[in-house]
Parts: sequence; structure tokens; C-alpha cells
Amino acid sequence: MEVLLGITGKDYVIIASSKAAMRGPTVLKATDNKTRNLNKNSVMAYSGESGDTVQFAELIQANVQLYSMRNGVALSPPAVSSFVRSELAKSIRSKRPYNVNLLLGGVDPKTGEPSLHWLDYLGTEAKIPYAAHGYAQYYCLSLLDKHHHPDIDLARGLTILRMCSDELKRRLPIDSKGLYVKIVSKEGIKEHVFEDEGQVLPA
Amino acid sequence: MDTLVAQYSCPAIEDTTLDAEQDELLHGPDALSLNFSLPPIAQPSSWLRAMTDDASNPNCPIKIAHGTTTLAFRFKGGIIVCTDSRATQGNWIASQTVKKVIEINNSLLGTMAGGAADCQYWLAYLGMQCRLHELRNKRRITVAAASKILANLVYSYKGMGLSMGTMCAGVTPQEGPALYYVDSDGTRMAGNMFCVGSGQTFAYGVLDAEYRYEMEDEEALELGRRSILAAMHRDAYSGGFINLYHVKEDGWVKHGFSDMNPIFWKTKLEKGEFSNVTADME
Amino acid sequence: MSRRYDSRTTIFSPEGRLYQVEYALEAISHAGTALGILAQDGIVLAAERKVTSKLLEQDTSAEKLYILNDNMITAVAGMTADANILINYARDAAQRYLLTYNTDIPCEQLVRRLCDLKQGYTQKGGLRPFGVSFIYAGWDPQLEFQLYQSNPSGNYGGWKATSVGANNASAQSLLKQDYKEECNLKEACELAVKVLSKTMDSTKLSSEKIEFATVGKTKAGKIYHHLWGAEEIDALLKEHGLAKAEDDENGDS
Repeated sequence: MEVLLGITGKDYVIIASSKAAMRGPTVLKATDNKTRNLNKNSVMAYSGESGDTVQFAELIQANVQLYSMRNGVALSPPAVSSFVRSELAKSIRSKRPYNVNLLLGGVDPKTGEPSLHWLDYLGTEAKIPYAAHGYAQYYCLSLLDKHHHPDIDLARGLTILRMCSDELKRRLPIDSKGLYVKIVSKEGIKEHVFEDEGQVLPA
Repeated sequence: MDTLVAQYSCPAIEDTTLDAEQDELLHGPDALSLNFSLPPIAQPSSWLRAMTDDASNPNCPIKIAHGTTTLAFRFKGGIIVCTDSRATQGNWIASQTVKKVIEINNSLLGTMAGGAADCQYWLAYLGMQCRLHELRNKRRITVAAASKILANLVYSYKGMGLSMGTMCAGVTPQEGPALYYVDSDGTRMAGNMFCVGSGQTFAYGVLDAEYRYEMEDEEALELGRRSILAAMHRDAYSGGFINLYHVKEDGWVKHGFSDMNPIFWKTKLEKGEFSNVTADME
Repeated sequence: MSRRYDSRTTIFSPEGRLYQVEYALEAISHAGTALGILAQDGIVLAAERKVTSKLLEQDTSAEKLYILNDNMITAVAGMTADANILINYARDAAQRYLLTYNTDIPCEQLVRRLCDLKQGYTQKGGLRPFGVSFIYAGWDPQLEFQLYQSNPSGNYGGWKATSVGANNASAQSLLKQDYKEECNLKEACELAVKVLSKTMDSTKLSSEKIEFATVGKTKAGKIYHHLWGAEEIDALLKEHGLAKAEDDENGDS
């Protein structure tokens, strides 16, 4: 029941992930961070098989940073996404594939264009304006279909994120302990404190 | 032609002998595990699963020692680490005096839950790596680094039947008191409080209710002891002796390896807890 | 003295030289000239075609200019057979990059990939270095139009105008004399043919003796590269009065 959400706006991308780290019947940690910064302008959020997630994310992070060191230029978010996809495609055909699903958000430092990429463990990749993984898809995508527009400002983006978070609290049987939120803009990546506003009950 | 080109286009430095540590950094910290022989079977992982799956086959030939309660939490005065001491193989109590806290060095502790052999072997291996790190770098390894060595190691055996849930607790000048959870899935995370093993839920019940970061040392030791006692009482696979440690700035201090029974009765009779257990025979 | 040191690429001579690499450079200095000029709105590559037997089929082999990928072309001086290996490698590398990153490979990265390969041959035992120098012309979004040159040692550099092959010293000094930073592609083409006409043995040029290619931007902002046809080259030569006179036209066709 891990939650990953991504929303693009006119000049930013919001990436959100649930804070609960669950193992069997236990919440081991309620302040977990399921994201990694790949470079100054792209963030990756991950969910899936425990162990695989962090290993894969750190592999990608290291390779993206190695690219910057070797070539003196950062990879653009779409290029990162393409690279991650190729790694996943390699992995799924290997003896022990990584079982990881990802959202990748970034803003091109040169053009200022925001982009959000949805990837799954099979190696599917899609560039889309808003995205979710896991059960969050079933509740949030319809909501985003209705309320999202490509040119929304940050305040509106965060309002929509709040709507998503409320709906998940209302209908998901398991509490995901709130959302860890990062905002990517042309200036870089910022952590955003997404306050928990208490219980939300179905009508 | 492509193969010809490929043949000559490999990195120019190829047979430079790296020193042991560089090699480890490149290929994972398993210089020793490379020689770790696997059984001569086509699919060791599925074979092991078939031989050890007690749940689906009670007559399975190998019964791995399992079942434990271990806990550790951070507080004002450092870290409390507490474990039971029972090892079970299926329904059989194999030992009541197992040491589930591994003293990696005088400021780092590891706890074991899950397969006893796996934990013992790999925590001893971790101890070796930590000592080598100390010799090579002239300073103590951080808890973050030590736990990552273990996490990467068990990750390299993922899916092959390793079963362990461990915590690394220690104090270093760089990090202060630090606590990490590492399991055989490859999960590794820092936290303030973890309970691991079949009795974890019982331990969490007591610990969560009364845990405060600002506790005094005595309070914290008592809470650790009482939480483990709760699990030892309720969980059939936990019991024996309470093994209690306090990790402080200048290293860990052991606070006994004490039989749970007198402690249980003392708790019941003096504090009136465990009221479901009747002391008098009618 | 040098006999002991010049037969293997891997061994320095006592003077600190790698003879095999120097011999490779020497081989190139006998090859047909190739030059490249960077302009504001594009790049021109031009090269002299050495073999012009009347019996040789002219249009079946582009001998000096090659397309590497959608945003890069190259001019070759040296052993064409060696060049084929390297060009194949470069095309492969460029496509592999495109497959992984879904963007064209940045020019300098492709040049570096080739040069890493060339460098390997100056160090590995028992092998001969590639006897080729390249001039690369390309475009990428980071650095836009770029011109590079590389040689058998695996060294490379970015240039505004450069030349390799026979008479490259005189071509280089002509370029230095006449190159203008703010020139456009048309002026660069003019400079290219003028330099070639002075460095080549024959005074009058023709489309049979030279090859020509440009990289530029269309009005729509799309990057194109173009290997010139014989008519286009002849038209350019005629425009600058460098074409062969009508009467000494050769009789084949």
C-alpha cells in the first residue's frame, strides 16, 4: 500500500511518497523517505520489493552523477528517464530482476520545462502530466483527470495534492502515515513540509 | 569486425591489481563470501526453501533455528538494546541461553533474529570488516557504514534463502548514537526504535505506550526489560534470559543476562501486572 | 638507435617518443587534404579526392566525407580502410547512446569515444595505431555548432577552422590569415574552396577532385547535414572562378 504521486504544473513538478515503511503487520518507520535526488534538477520516487528499491535507486543515482562528472553536463530529465527505462528493461531480462516502480520528476535547467515520467518494473515508460503508483492510482487518477490543467500554479498544485491525500485517508484501509513531498523547479529541488491535517472520514 | 573492435576497445587499465579495499568498493564487500561455497545443487534457493519450509511440511528435514524477540531504541542517554535468549527449531526449544547480541566492538552492537546460523556467521563477518576498516582508516567505522556493509552483503544473497532481521546500534563521534535496522530482504533504515522477531508486536505494545525520548537511564533500562518480558511471556518462540545492554557515548555497558522467571514473578507480585496469570492454586 | 623502439607501439624511445604514432601521423600527411570551417550559422567540410583514375567509378564511393548520425558528419584523412572501422564504431556508439538516452549524443562525447578507442592502440601490444585523422562537424543543443579534429594518438581538440592531410601546414596558415569569426556559411564555403585551390596540386578544380559537405540550420530551425552533389560543387567553383576551363574537359562518361 505504498503511495507515489506526481503532479506537474506550469514550471514545477511535485513528487510525493507515503512516509510509512511497512514489513508484515508492522509499521517499522513513519518518517521514511522513498525518494532520491538524481541531480540538481531531477528526483526519483520508488516503491516495490524491499531491498530492491533502495539498491536500484542508488544505482541510478550513482550512474547519473557519474555521467555529470564524466561529461560536465547534467542529463536532462527525459534523458534520465530514458536511461532508467533501459536499465529496467535490462533488469527484467536478467536472472534476478529489480522489482521497482518509479516516478521521475524534473525541470530542464535550460528550457525550464517540467516533465514527469511514469515507469514500472517491466520497463514501461510514459511521459505524463500527473501520475500515481499502487492503490493511489485507483483513487487519485480520476480526481486528477478532473482537476489538473497543464498551466496550474504551485498553490493550485498543492491544493490538488491535498485533495488526493484526503481521498487516500478517506478510503484506503491502511494509513500511510502522511506524505513526504518534494518540489522541483528551475531553481532546484526543495523539500516541502506537507502538514498532516488530521483524520478524514467518508461521508 | 565488431568483435575485433570490441576486443581492443576494452579499458586500457585492465589487469592493474587493486588493493583489497578498492576491490571491495568496486565489487561489494564480499572478498570472503566469494569463497563461500554453495551446495552442489542446480537451484540452491528453491532447494533450501523445500527443505526448510516448516509451515507447509512439518516433516521437513532441516529445521532452522527461528523465533526471537529483540528490541532497540534511542533516547536521551543513548541506546537501549534488549533481547530474549530462546532458540527454537519448529516446536522444539533448542536452547534457552542464546546470546543474541553480538558485540562487534566496544561501541557497536548487533542483534540477531531469524536464522541463528545466518545471523551468527554474517555478524561475525561484519565484525571482521569493521576491524579491517579500523586498521585501514585509523578510525572507528560509522554505524551507517557498518550497517550498509551488512545490507549490501545480504542483498547479494537475496532470494537464496537467507533469513535475518538485525539491528546495528552504536555511538560514534561523527553520528552520535545511531540505530539501523537491516534485514535479509536488503532493507536498511535508520530509526529511533525497532522491535524485530516473532515477538515484535508484543514488545511494540509495551514500548510504544511508555516510550519518551527524555527518559532517564534507569527508566529506559526498565522499559527495555519490561518490553522484552512482555514478548517472552506472550510469544511461544521467545523466552529464557533477558539480555540487556546500554550503548553510551563511551561504549556499551552490559546490564545482565537474567532469567526471566524471577523477573516475571517479581513484576506480577510487586506491581500486580500480568493479572491473567493466577498465582494461587485453588 | 630507433630500430629498437619504433617497431612496437607500446614502447617509449629514450627521447620519450612513440615512433609508431609519429609514423601514423606521417602517413596521414601524404593523404588528400581535408578541412573544416566553423561559421555562425553552420559548418563546412571540404576534402581533396586523391585517386582520380579515369577508370574509377566516381559516384559509387564517397571517399572522404561520412555521416556519423543525424547531427554529425566527418571528414577523413589517412587510410580509408582504417577509417571505415572507426566510422562504423562511431555510428554504433551514436546509435547506442540514442537507444539509452533517447537524445542524440553530444558531439564532444562521440569524438571522445572514438579517441578513447584510438588511444588504446597506442598502448596495447602488437597492434598498429589507426592511420587516420578526422575533422568532425556537428551540432548539439548544449554547445550548438562545433568543429573538432582528432589524430592517431587519440588527442582531440575543438577548432574554428582546421585542416589535415597533405599540405595541411599551408592550408592552416591560409585559414589563419583569412578566417573571420563572424563569417556565415556561404562565406565559409568560399574560403574552403579558395584554400583548397591553393593547396591542391592542380590549379583548376572540379567536382571529381573535391568533396564538399555542410551542416546548418533550416529556416524552421531544424538541423540538417548535406553531402554536396557534383552539380552543386561545380556551381560553387564556377561562382568563384575556380572551375576547370570548358575545353580541357576529360572525355569519360
